[in-house]
Amino acid sequence: MDLLLEGFATALTPENLLYAVIGVLLGTAVGVLPGIGPAMTVALLLPVTYNVSPTSGLILFAGIYYGGMYGGSTTSILLNTPGESSSVVTALEGNKMAKAGRAAQALATAAIGSFVAGTIGTILLVALAPNIADVVVKLGAPSYFAIMVLSLFTVTAVLGSSKLRGLISLALGLAIGLVGTSTGQQRLTFGSPQLADGIDVVVVAVAIFAIGEALWVAAHLRRRPLDIIPVGRPWMSRDDWGRSWKPWLRGTAYGFPFGALPAGGAEVPTFLSYITERRLTKKPEEFGKGAIEGVAGPEAANNASAAGTLVPLLAIGLPTTATAAVILVAMQNYGLQPGPQFMDAEPKLVWGLLASLFVANTLLLVLNLPLAPVWAKLLQIRRPYLYAGILFFASLGAYSVNFQAFDLGLLLCLGLLGLAMRRFGLPVLPLIIGVILGPRLEEQLTTALAISQGDLSTLWSEPVAVVVYVVMALMIVGLVVTGFRRRNKGVTDRIDDNYQEVSM
Amino acid sequence: MSDTETRSDGRSPQVTDVAQYGLAAFLLAVGVVVVVDARSLDRGFADQPVQPYALPYVVGAALLVLGVLLAVATWRGDTPEAEGGEDVDLTQGSDWATVAKLVAVFAVVIATIDWLGWAIVGAFLFAASARVLGSRTLLLNVAIGAALSLLTWYGFYVGLGIPIPAGVLDGVL
Amino acid sequence: MSIVVAYSPDPYGRAALAHGAVQAEQRHEDVLVVNATRGDSLVDRRFADDADLARVRQGLDTLGLSASITHEVVDDVAAAVVATAERVQASLVVVGIRPRSPVGKMLLGSVAQRVILDAPCPVLAVKPDGASDEV
Repeated sequence: MDLLLEGFATALTPENLLYAVIGVLLGTAVGVLPGIGPAMTVALLLPVTYNVSPTSGLILFAGIYYGGMYGGSTTSILLNTPGESSSVVTALEGNKMAKAGRAAQALATAAIGSFVAGTIGTILLVALAPNIADVVVKLGAPSYFAIMVLSLFTVTAVLGSSKLRGLISLALGLAIGLVGTSTGQQRLTFGSPQLADGIDVVVVAVAIFAIGEALWVAAHLRRRPLDIIPVGRPWMSRDDWGRSWKPWLRGTAYGFPFGALPAGGAEVPTFLSYITERRLTKKPEEFGKGAIEGVAGPEAANNASAAGTLVPLLAIGLPTTATAAVILVAMQNYGLQPGPQFMDAEPKLVWGLLASLFVANTLLLVLNLPLAPVWAKLLQIRRPYLYAGILFFASLGAYSVNFQAFDLGLLLCLGLLGLAMRRFGLPVLPLIIGVILGPRLEEQLTTALAISQGDLSTLWSEPVAVVVYVVMALMIVGLVVTGFRRRNKGVTDRIDDNYQEVSM
Repeated sequence: MSDTETRSDGRSPQVTDVAQYGLAAFLLAVGVVVVVDARSLDRGFADQPVQPYALPYVVGAALLVLGVLLAVATWRGDTPEAEGGEDVDLTQGSDWATVAKLVAVFAVVIATIDWLGWAIVGAFLFAASARVLGSRTLLLNVAIGAALSLLTWYGFYVGLGIPIPAGVLDGVL
Repeated sequence: MSIVVAYSPDPYGRAALAHGAVQAEQRHEDVLVVNATRGDSLVDRRFADDADLARVRQGLDTLGLSASITHEVVDDVAAAVVATAERVQASLVVVGIRPRSPVGKMLLGSVAQRVILDAPCPVLAVKPDGASDEV
């Protein structure tokens, strides 16, 4: 508790408060803007890690993460264009509400629900992360190795619709991670001195998230403008409050655990929240025509899962979403290695960051309720400027790593890879996780085998490692069984079906 | 009411996506490169349990297997589900000409940045990409581009304390 | 013969529509309402939604005018208005003009200005006033 109070002292200094405000505003803006998401924004802002202090930098990024989760709901509700898979469900009822003249109420329940879920989620994070870290700190290299393999496996095979494409993406990421020098020998450097230190993860993240996306959008510009529903200042009636608070809490209960698990992501909990609310509602006739419960629940689940993903990130150093992966890159740029020792080694930073999450949440509520009409105006930005700006800042970010034209060439090549991945439906997350975790995986394996002097059985010598492998085996069995039983009828497919309904 | 053509979605699920063979070939090529490179690596220290070539062999082999699997899947009629998005209209086909022009703009940037410096090249990058993406107000493109690149140059120099090489403008900025 | 009105769902477009309707009544000619966008932003305020155009049509119908409406995505809005005027051999084009500084004109260009310069027929340039809400 004292630690948290000290954290607030860190988070509430004028400088850090300013970074939190900037982060929240920027995050919401990019959540609203078409084609930019929080992962891309954090990737584009990685150059600030060269000079801004770690605490301020991470407060900025956390603000962007929370703000981006909220901003996505605005376009779902007003335009029926869910920018990320996690806000697909919000669009189902949210846009119907807006069309029925209740845009203000939909935005309000999304904003307040996000605040409630984010705050509860952050409390859980504060309560859980140190305890998990205490457990994890006792684990040896074999268990670490097992947990990393599990997280690579879940991100690759459990999330996403095509296992084959997930594995391809992961293998490409691991291959990129191989480039560099290992025990004094050049690996995959083709004799180039610029590659001897490996490919900077900043360049990979910027290329895949920003350049790849900008090129992909450039090839598929939506031409016909969408009809936007005008919005005043969001507010809710007593009845709306009465119908919203239970879905907020239930959504939080779905979102946080799913975010915290290595098989995280916000798609499944938002969808579960939606079907739960549809079953429990007293006004089932309103579902499909704009039921407020159908916005309140999934939006809460969405934000609670964002808080949940910070548990494995801070306590074990495992990213489970794209944004968490890029924040991990930022931490590594600072020379920080999140994980069990991280909380003890950097208490000021960690607790300052946790406290700033509470601050960011409150700021989101205070700023976004009155600012909703301003966010809607952002949608009028002309695309050529938007995407030219993304290319500009992406190049600046990659160039500022070493000031070498070589990095820009690398940026272009990896950007084209990112374009191809979007064309061929390869998920981006396994590649980034592969680049980040690949080298660490090799390191843990080396450590484990060095201690056991090459005896492979050490890999399953620790109870936690055994449990993890058993879980993984069960998941593989489960995947095979469900694969046989209902070929193409997984949860993700049902969400996709709903998405098609939405976009029609 | 509307004069815009609303083309009905012409994708049929049974068509083979020929371009996917290209992706499979790319995976095989990368796999071969990784394996060949791994063969050139020597043993590190004798007592080192994980030799530097261990992981490359695994990754290279995985790439080769996945390349073959993808080719087989393509042959059996598997088509990719291209990624949608807020600003992506997949029903209108792909406009690869715009992408090619953007790549050309980028190539010019890479070729000239050491000589001209960020301030000039950055402005060119912004103005030219905005033009390629359909903005006709050339003067405004250049004005915004120049403002952005000067602001970021000074922002890095003053704000972050990082001098970006100025190129030919060295001494002017 | 017909009168081409460059329409947008704002006071300038409504002024153009009102004056166009008055001219059409006096001359006993058709009205051709053009609403176009370059489609280069996700939301374009000057691109009318279907409900707004339905109101425009209803208003013109109540006045007993024969009206048609084109609603399209084009490369260049001014050129589209001029092309329409040429195609139907319009007797008059009506545009609403918005105040803009010389610098703004140089940087952003002006649809009204280019229509005035390029149109093959007389152009009536109007400003919003109290009467503009009649149609």
